[in-house]
Amino acid sequence: MRTDELIAALAEDAGSVRAVNPWRRCALAALAGAAVAAVILVAWLGLRPMGEAMVNPSFWMKAAYTSALALGALAVAARLARPGGRAGRGLLLLAAPLAAIVALAVIQAAVTPMPERAAIWLGVTWTLCPWRILALSIPVYAAVVLALRRLAPTEPVRAGAAAGLLAGAVGATVYGFYCRESAPAFVAVWYTAGVALSAALGALTGGRLLRW
Amino acid sequence: MPAAVAAKAASRSGGTEGRLKELMLRGLDGDPAAHAELLAALSGYLRGYFARRLGAGAADLEDLVQETLLAIHLKRALFDRSQPFTPWAYAIARYKLLTHFRRIGARRMVPLEDAGELFAAENVEEGAVRHDLGRLLARLPGRQRALVADVKLQGLTLEEAAARGGLTPGAAKVSLHRSLKRLAREVRDEDR
Repeated sequence: MRTDELIAALAEDAGSVRAVNPWRRCALAALAGAAVAAVILVAWLGLRPMGEAMVNPSFWMKAAYTSALALGALAVAARLARPGGRAGRGLLLLAAPLAAIVALAVIQAAVTPMPERAAIWLGVTWTLCPWRILALSIPVYAAVVLALRRLAPTEPVRAGAAAGLLAGAVGATVYGFYCRESAPAFVAVWYTAGVALSAALGALTGGRLLRW
Repeated sequence: MPAAVAAKAASRSGGTEGRLKELMLRGLDGDPAAHAELLAALSGYLRGYFARRLGAGAADLEDLVQETLLAIHLKRALFDRSQPFTPWAYAIARYKLLTHFRRIGARRMVPLEDAGELFAAENVEEGAVRHDLGRLLARLPGRQRALVADVKLQGLTLEEAAARGGLTPGAAKVSLHRSLKRLAREVRDEDR
């Protein structure tokens, strides 16, 4: 087929085009993935008693942190979903919650007497938490990848990392409905580690998965 | 997109950015002639850009030009109208070039440069029709291929092509669109 013939065919296919909103597509995918992750959580680990959780400030602190990370990652992923898109100011939206949780962690450590300090950083489940978050992030990552393949990320590794970050943050939010750890210090290290693992997985697989 | 990139695009020599963006917007609003003109202009730039990186006589050159035009066409809903056009198109061209290198197993780096790499006036290479025809169409099954091959520039002939294939014009339009999307999927899945 000659190129001018292809162009003629493409011109025939030119209806008026409705703009696509990458933010909305990624958000819907993340929510669908979150629903699957929630089902997995209930079947696998169960829920913490929700009446008690709702009145527990640390439950909200964790949810606020991971949700804020998710929104920042969503902003970055949506930008990277367009050709030529760059993370840009979305990175600030990621840095802010991270800075906040680290600040809370440092403050907590400062006011905790020495003998108890290790406990606030390690909690009870530090060996399990990041891996559980990674596991819960996988259905979210799958959904976001499917969404991104229908968009047009021209930097697939970065887009993969952003998708992984989003998936990890959503997974961590879901995990918060089970996890009883309450120290900001714990969250700052081990929740962040889980999110980072998911982002790394995204970066490693994005190049291969995000093709269009 | 960073302000510096936008400013550079806007001042691109010869008003290329302005001209192409206007064609793009008119195409997005449903003007097939503007869309065709845009794609024809882009094909010249793409040929020059790829020729410099693949070698002018490269067998895959026209394939790559066609695949990139197809990608630009199918993903045009992802163009943000408030942003410059040339960096957007350049990003797609570079992405397709990288995909090509990966597909042929060449570990070549393609540094992210300015859209001027693609849109410098002296890069335009016309008239590649004398060379290898793109193999894009060969990926489609027979009936879909016939439809795409039959379609010419005037809107009227989509109806003729439809009649020839035993389809209503509406069905032909849908079939054409699906064929194009399928082409893109075939290209994408080629490097499994």
